[in-house]
Amino acid sequence: MSTTKGSWADAYRKKWTWDRVTWGSHSVDCYPGGCPWQVYTRDGKIVREEQSGSLPPVEAGIPDMNPMGCQKGASWSHCHYSPDRVTQPMKRVGERGDGKFVPVSWDEATDAIADAMLDAIAEQGPESILTLLTPEPGAAPARLFAQALGTPTTDGNAEFQDFSPGFHVTWGLFNPVSSMDDWFLAELTLIWHANPVYTNIHWYHYLAESRYNGGEIVTIAPDYSPSAIHADYHMPIRIGTDAALALAMCKVIIDGELYQKQFVQEQTDLPLLVRKDTGRFLRGSEVFPGDRVDQFFWWDALSGTLTPAPRHTLATTGVDPALDGSYEVLLADGTKVEVEPAFARLRRHLDDYTPEKASKICEVHPDNIRALARKVASRKTKLFVGWNSGKYYHGDLMERSLALLLGLTGNWGKKGTGTRSWAIMGMDGSAFMSRKDAPGQEAAQRLIAGLIGMRRMLSAGDPTLTPEMIQNRAAELAAEIGGQGAVMPPAFLWYFQYGYKERWDDPENHDPSFKRSFGEYLEEAISKGWWDARYSSLYRDMEPRVLIEAGGNMLRRQRGGRKLLVEKLWPKLKMVVSIDYRITTTGLYSDYILPAAQHYEKLGNSMPSVHHLNFVLCDRATPPAGEALADWDIGVKLVEAIERRAAARGMKEFKDCKGTVRPLHGLVKQLTLDGAVRDEEKRFDEAVRDSAVYGVLPKGTTLETLRQTGYARFSNWGMVGHGISQASTIKTNEVHNPFRWHTEDKVPYDTLVRRAQFYIDHEWFLESGEGFPTHKEPPPAGGKNRRFQMTSGHNRWSIHSMNMTNNIILNTHRGEPFAFINDKEAAELGIANGDKVRVTSNAGSMLIQAKITPSCRPGQVIVYNGFEPYMHENWYSQADVEPGHVKPLGLVGNYGHLKYRLFSWQPIPADRAVRVDVEKA
Amino acid sequence: MGKITASKRQLAWVFDLNKCIGCQTCSVACKVLWPGEDPGTEAQWWMTVNTQPGKGTPRGWEEMGGGYDANGKLSLGRIPTDEEVGGGWNFNYDEVLRGEGGQGRKHLQKISGSKTWGMNWDEDEGGGEFPNAYFFYLPRLCNHCTEPACLEACPNDAIFKREEDGLVLRDEEKCRGAQMCRRACPYKKIYFNRMRNVSQHCIGCFPRVEQGVAPACVRQCPGRAAFIGFLDDSSTAVGKLVNQWKVALPLHPEKGTHPNVYYVPPLSPAPLREDGSFDEAAPRIPPAYLESLFGPAVHGALDVLKSELDRKRRGQDSELMDTLILYRWKDALGHLTRDPADIVWDRSK
Repeated sequence: MSTTKGSWADAYRKKWTWDRVTWGSHSVDCYPGGCPWQVYTRDGKIVREEQSGSLPPVEAGIPDMNPMGCQKGASWSHCHYSPDRVTQPMKRVGERGDGKFVPVSWDEATDAIADAMLDAIAEQGPESILTLLTPEPGAAPARLFAQALGTPTTDGNAEFQDFSPGFHVTWGLFNPVSSMDDWFLAELTLIWHANPVYTNIHWYHYLAESRYNGGEIVTIAPDYSPSAIHADYHMPIRIGTDAALALAMCKVIIDGELYQKQFVQEQTDLPLLVRKDTGRFLRGSEVFPGDRVDQFFWWDALSGTLTPAPRHTLATTGVDPALDGSYEVLLADGTKVEVEPAFARLRRHLDDYTPEKASKICEVHPDNIRALARKVASRKTKLFVGWNSGKYYHGDLMERSLALLLGLTGNWGKKGTGTRSWAIMGMDGSAFMSRKDAPGQEAAQRLIAGLIGMRRMLSAGDPTLTPEMIQNRAAELAAEIGGQGAVMPPAFLWYFQYGYKERWDDPENHDPSFKRSFGEYLEEAISKGWWDARYSSLYRDMEPRVLIEAGGNMLRRQRGGRKLLVEKLWPKLKMVVSIDYRITTTGLYSDYILPAAQHYEKLGNSMPSVHHLNFVLCDRATPPAGEALADWDIGVKLVEAIERRAAARGMKEFKDCKGTVRPLHGLVKQLTLDGAVRDEEKRFDEAVRDSAVYGVLPKGTTLETLRQTGYARFSNWGMVGHGISQASTIKTNEVHNPFRWHTEDKVPYDTLVRRAQFYIDHEWFLESGEGFPTHKEPPPAGGKNRRFQMTSGHNRWSIHSMNMTNNIILNTHRGEPFAFINDKEAAELGIANGDKVRVTSNAGSMLIQAKITPSCRPGQVIVYNGFEPYMHENWYSQADVEPGHVKPLGLVGNYGHLKYRLFSWQPIPADRAVRVDVEKA
Repeated sequence: MGKITASKRQLAWVFDLNKCIGCQTCSVACKVLWPGEDPGTEAQWWMTVNTQPGKGTPRGWEEMGGGYDANGKLSLGRIPTDEEVGGGWNFNYDEVLRGEGGQGRKHLQKISGSKTWGMNWDEDEGGGEFPNAYFFYLPRLCNHCTEPACLEACPNDAIFKREEDGLVLRDEEKCRGAQMCRRACPYKKIYFNRMRNVSQHCIGCFPRVEQGVAPACVRQCPGRAAFIGFLDDSSTAVGKLVNQWKVALPLHPEKGTHPNVYYVPPLSPAPLREDGSFDEAAPRIPPAYLESLFGPAVHGALDVLKSELDRKRRGQDSELMDTLILYRWKDALGHLTRDPADIVWDRSK
């Protein structure tokens, strides 16, 4: 004990006492999340939280993950008691957006919402009731009604765009990522389209430590970004020209014969033969009558013959697929065609990307391009790619170019290599709950046996189907049937009903290589049946009537802005509901706000991420404040109200647009397994126990065991989420690397050609010159002749807009939205540090404080996103300046893996490199 | 005037500036745990992280004087103004969310505190010229100095240096709010609580330390950039970095107070020449600037870091690099490795 005495000292000691410690984390999409915290409660109030620092090291010789956490987590308890917290159901009394509400009872609120839903069903059908797949997983149970009624949920990735379309095009995998500790093993890390110093606070240390371990860090960004300061090199690339840089590196590698020939032959489509006359892959049906359309060919250099590239394996045993040359092939119709390996075409394609030519585009010195290319070719290289590239209009091309760089150098499928994005997994216990025929783990065993049986049936017709392919087919089938609520790509709904038609059809917002307007591409995609009519053409005439959002904030997030939605969508809506623990901008425009429990007031788990592979418990430290309820309880209450009001109105069932009849009774019974899991704690325990049965969590894991340890390491991927997309087996004592089934076991990829696919011979891709990854300038979206390009990124202080209004956090920056501008340029425009400036595009304008720095590139204005519109003067924010334009190629839906798959492939609005003007306000 | 008595042992902090990412988790952890937002403490951030070069917090603190002159004589500087300390903001939540602010009539704004500065106002601004801009992050707390000028300056004998670990603490019952400590401290890390008429500063998390738990700023640092331990313990990372490798240096040693917070100075990316090629030999951060912060020893420290980094890159071992890698996080905590959640308080007393 200390010698320090006195009542003042005891007062400090008393501050650091507690009655109770519970495990806590944050069930939010702060990917990868997964930080185990301990929550300290005193006199019934949460006083603070602290990282547990309790994770054991995974692999010998690699640093442990402790103490995972960040400043947002360290002050999350503050949000529990923040003035924007809601603890009573509220009903709007003024105009929408006035912020005038009165408290009402849960029954009054849920009855009114249920009646609006039943009205909508009767008027137009259940598809006029919308909910959003929001980025707060803890809020998901509040959307039970969508599952119970089969009403549509819009695919969240269209809104938050945290997706790498170019990687999907290449690998047909949803975001294969290594575990965070694998970054320690990289010999070279390229931080490219990412700012991990802001966005990966809890595991950035692995990059710093890989450097101390002898690795090198290179940051490629237009600005001297915070993630450049600890790099060995910063390459200040011109905005939107990353593909040119990557392709120039590819050219250096190919010209210098530095590529990994066997890897390229085996893992990629580059040896596949392409017809010189059409530019399309040579296909089985063209060569042999009756052969498959999706059979592709190599030229075997050993035997000098045309050889089918096997569909069941990547192994090249006994063959030597040619990468160069030109060959003559006799077709089934008796004609002869010249063919050549895609690699030979790639060589010619790359002629436009000599380091000198590329340097003129990307403004990186040719010597720097050459030097970096040689390093990538000779070292275990990791690309730290964030979700920035995917938010560029041509982000797919950038990512395809990056993937090509990795492919040529054999940089995936082994430790210390690969790329980064996001993937979640192992949510089987809760996802399958309502499909069980009874409570208990025997029912779980029956269910899983049935699911495995169904998958066997799916693969019966084709023994070459891989686990990934079967998983993807099963997911597509489930979406078609509408099993877990019908998730849909919302682009069509937005185009027809949200007011985007005019913007998306505006030629100024598009690349001139697309000869037709966005609308024409959209109509062709619909008319050719590439997209399910249920969500593509249905919304031509059907107007949304009810919009219920849980754990999201669409009026903050949606590119194109609050103004557009409030003017064009809102008048069609008869009921808008925000289910949240706080008042958001969307909440201010809602008819009802239903108060949800905060994250330390309910049971749940943090983001179950491939990055850390831990199932981390969020326990209940205190009961929900006031009348707030856990999301699960809100979800059940809403469905109860629907049943209650339907019975009162004599509505027994309804039909959806496909003619499926759905009941309006017995729903709660099914969701709660006849009441057995009605209680939140029982349900969570049941989900954990079921997950152990499904093999996702270690045998014997229960809520009780989790309350001892705070977390459990996943033992398998499970069926729910993107685990199978990792194409690798979880090892107990090793870091995780994706792709190993492909690189080690030679299992084919789920792409059209069953290999990593760099050449896309779809007619739209060929017509727009995007068969191979290529560089294209961002279109002048926002308006031609505007001086600046606005870029963005996730900020340091919030998870989307969650935590943005936390008073503690607001005090750690300027306490209001701001934009970075280059110092010299600001001086030219007469803008001083701290001045208010107006940022304007063809979509709209906002007022924002200027922050002046030489780190910002001339011509660039950086606005990190997440600020609530209500934090801006007049509530016009960044999203109001973004046109929200969409690249038409996302509408392709008829080409192998290029078809709708949840999160993976769909038209997605761009928001980077928007052309703006900046002036002193 | 207070009299300095030498401590038997000295706790010291080391911050690795090549790992610090300016996330403010240390600042927030400290803020939530100690000063909080009680009346009088709103603007107090005993732990802060600032972007260097910059004016920091309080704004322009390096120009405010304090410490000891070349002859070892106490030199009183000036007290930072509230505006220079900055922050202390609260916001008009109710007006925007529940009042008359609807439809964009009112937006969220500060309704209290400084109009012109905050604890991290010049975040990520830095210096230099694009594309060779430069900056790094500098975490700061009370330096728990071996020669604390604040202690000597205190007219009320309120400040004392603990014998067992050298923490510099203030007996708040003796403090009369004279603020001579604020004048004397060359680091300007002392705040004034107007409501209680006492000055306040980092307490070294003494309630944690006496339970064997590391201070919050160290234990909660996700960048694994913070280390703590007894300076004389050569088995700890702190002992190794400060005494054995001499790569951890005090801030502004010329102020003469012998701080016990040490910094591993920042490396930086190679700058670009006029033509855009890399100049591998030249430093991006001007050495003179680093010297102005850490004294002339900074050059040698950087040389050691570079040569040990180079060893690793050549596939050789480096004990220094391994220490900074911190394979086991608990090795950053010295003897203060106890898990706080294991403590059960008897609160009936």
